[in-house]
Amino acid sequence: MQDPRIRIAAATVLSLAAFMSLHGAAAVFLWWLVFTPRLQLAKRIKMVVSLILMIAFFSLVLELSGGGGLSYFIRMTVIVLIGMWLFSGQKSGEFLSIGVWLFGDRAGFELGMVAEMGMQSLASVTADLDRIRMAEKIKGMQWEVRSLVPAGLVLVHSALARAEDTAELLAVRGYQYGGTLCPTFFTRPGDIVAGMSAVCILIFALIPVSEFFILYR
Amino acid sequence: MGVPMASITLNRVSAVRDRWSLSASGTFNEGVHLVSGEVGSGKSTLALMMAGLFPPSGGDIGKEGITTSMLSLPFPELHVTAISVAGECASWGVDPGEILDAIGLAGKKESSPLSMSRGELKRLHLACVLAKDYDLLLLDEPFSSLDCEEKVKLCKRIGQQSQGICVIFTHEQNILPRVTRIWEIVDGMLVDCGTPPDAFTHWHHVPPVITKLTALGARPDNISPDDFLEAVCRIQG
Repeated sequence: MQDPRIRIAAATVLSLAAFMSLHGAAAVFLWWLVFTPRLQLAKRIKMVVSLILMIAFFSLVLELSGGGGLSYFIRMTVIVLIGMWLFSGQKSGEFLSIGVWLFGDRAGFELGMVAEMGMQSLASVTADLDRIRMAEKIKGMQWEVRSLVPAGLVLVHSALARAEDTAELLAVRGYQYGGTLCPTFFTRPGDIVAGMSAVCILIFALIPVSEFFILYR
Repeated sequence: MGVPMASITLNRVSAVRDRWSLSASGTFNEGVHLVSGEVGSGKSTLALMMAGLFPPSGGDIGKEGITTSMLSLPFPELHVTAISVAGECASWGVDPGEILDAIGLAGKKESSPLSMSRGELKRLHLACVLAKDYDLLLLDEPFSSLDCEEKVKLCKRIGQQSQGICVIFTHEQNILPRVTRIWEIVDGMLVDCGTPPDAFTHWHHVPPVITKLTALGARPDNISPDDFLEAVCRIQG
């Protein structure tokens, strides 16, 4: 999907639809099968598997403590798939463009820039984690649970140091508030079809399907 | 029967990334090897491949008599895995007290390694790496972030290596240790320049001081500052 405005709006709408009902989640899953390049998921398979395992754990706890775990697992797994699609399609500068398009050169620019920085931090943390694992391999250390604490602290420390550097850089360059940007977007016909389908799915998710079937029993 | 000599052989090893490529063939025997080349020529990629941390696109790497190996990455912060300096030393399997006393950082035992200056962290990192002997020691840009005094100390320490293979990947031109063999990466290819001083004649990245001394009729025997000094003394008689 080329247009980031439609991509983000579709992801928001689909996440809501998947979270609201089980039949909504099923429809979102179908949407994901039809409109996204599913093979891209293979590049982030480790992240997807670890997220799904985490959801599975919480779903099990929920199921054992009062039920509804399976429904929670299905809905959250579909949300993860949509999130991964959104994350893999994201390009640098898109949040800034959307921020300015939505809220203008001042507040919009600020919001967009914060979002861009967030995405950059996320990418840096992933790179740092790979780097720590390589360092441990070089040192002959085993990747184990107790190494998570120092690794986590090194990650937090690095992220804070980078944030401080960025803040200093902005201050040195005289940044105060807002900026000028002329956002441009490219919309393909397929983007509009996918976007409209996402809205239809949200409406479908809002329909109380179970009551509808009871009516015709 | 003696201990087999360590060696690492690159057999048509290649790395390809977009329009950039690197190919390397040759055998690194025991001794100190220098691999020079411009920034971005592929020195770090070659180091990673030789350490087994980056799979080559083609070819193979054969190792003989190598049971222990170590790679020092160019940026010391890339090695940090602990939250204190003492912990960082321990993660290398070395005694923190001994190491920190030796490099004059005894007061920083409880500090965070990431709060140290790049120079301090590099000294700490190199001290930890060089505290042990390895059959294969790969040093990627070991002189970066060090002042002249520390570079000289590092050269001396490398010169004390009595066994094993030590490969230095660097674009440093002024302060270098005495080496057994010189290699360089030119136009995406690893070239064996040979042993010094004969290697100087076809070494593209030959340090300017060697060119000048050779022009004055006093070609140094090797590439260390002591060799340059000895050559200067020859001119002056």
